[in-house]
Formats: sequence, structure tokens, C-alpha cells
Amino acid sequence: MTLALFSGSVDKLTAAGVILGGAAAEDMDVEIYVLLQAAFAFKKENALVNDRVSEITDKKDDFLASLKRLGTPHWTEAFKTAKEMTNVKIHICGFAGKVWHGEKLDDFIDLADDICGIGEYMTSAEESDINLFI
Amino acid sequence: MNIEELKQIKVDKSVDARGTSCPGPLLAAKKAIGQIENGQVMEVLSADEGTRRDIPKWCTKKGYEYLGTVEEAGFFKIFLRK
Repeated sequence: MTLALFSGSVDKLTAAGVILGGAAAEDMDVEIYVLLQAAFAFKKENALVNDRVSEITDKKDDFLASLKRLGTPHWTEAFKTAKEMTNVKIHICGFAGKVWHGEKLDDFIDLADDICGIGEYMTSAEESDINLFI
Repeated sequence: MNIEELKQIKVDKSVDARGTSCPGPLLAAKKAIGQIENGQVMEVLSADEGTRRDIPKWCTKKGYEYLGTVEEAGFFKIFLRK
């Protein structure tokens, strides 16, 4: 599976984490390309404090409270679990990194494996049976 | 297996995933399946309706034998053989 992860908001990142869990249960190989706004969420200083949601924004407090009530792990935990259980590679788009003032891999959370260009995404997308844009 | 047979079955591994929501129970099952031998029986306790449908499909894909589900008060016991 190849996932073009554009969103930097916790609602969509949480959905991505659930899908990653499904992929992990099936031992699926996953390539994640962290694009524009998602690179903001992957910055070390933002990952845990960012609580933006992109949809139904007027119910944000209810949404976040429900995640807590249901025992839903933070998206970074869900991603980490998937990485432990199956082959998940997380690539930060170099351009997106620079947009958010991240020049080096070390500027992003430890889940990130490398910084890459769009060519790798195209190759990965061509080879995958499942392609998602979130 | 019918419900009575499932209630009598000897379970080698029990996974209590009632405190987690989807995909928590499925991931708990995936983690635990590595801890039992081929032929052994595992039960997954889940309060998540979706898991009841996911585990049989997961078993088919992974080559495990789905044995059946017993509905308890507020949760499911889902049985499979590795």
C-alpha cells in the first residue's frame, strides 16, 4: 500500500493510523509519503501538541473527548505500533519539510525514515495495489 | 462449531481487548497469534462490533481456522485455531 499523507490534522491522521493498523494485521508493506501539511504534524515540536481538525471543526472538543473515551491511541502511537508489526517506511517530502522549516531528518519525529523526492512516490504508487491520498 | 461446543472448548490463549476500539482487537490478535503453536486455540474478547466481522476475514487471509463467536453481555468471544 502507498499512502500519500497530505493532511496535518488529527482527525485525518487518526484515520490514517486506523488504516495502518489494518495493514499491519495483514503484514502488508506500506510506504508513506508525508506531503505538505502532514510535514507540519511530523515536526518534533508539533506532533504531540497539534490538535487541529480539518472537518466538523465546530465539534472538535467532542471529537477529541471521544477519542480519549474510546481508548484510541494518539496517531503517533498508532503509526509506531504499525511500524513494529509490519514493514512501514515513512518518507518526508523534502519540499514539504522546507515549507515548515525542517531541513534535516532530525527535525522530524523518530517515526520518519528518510527525506525524499516525488520520484520515489511515483515509483511506489506505480508498484502498489492500494493507493490512498489522505 | 456451535455455541455449546465453543463454550466447552479448551482455550490455549485468551486475549482481552475489550478496552480498545478498532483496530485494537485485531492488532491484539495479531500480536498474540505468534505466542501459540499451530493447532492451538485462541479466543479474542472484544466489545467492538467491527472486530466480530474482521477476525473471520483475517483468519481466511492468514490461513487460520475461524471457529465461531459467542455473544456475551456487552462483548464477543471470538474463537480461532492457528
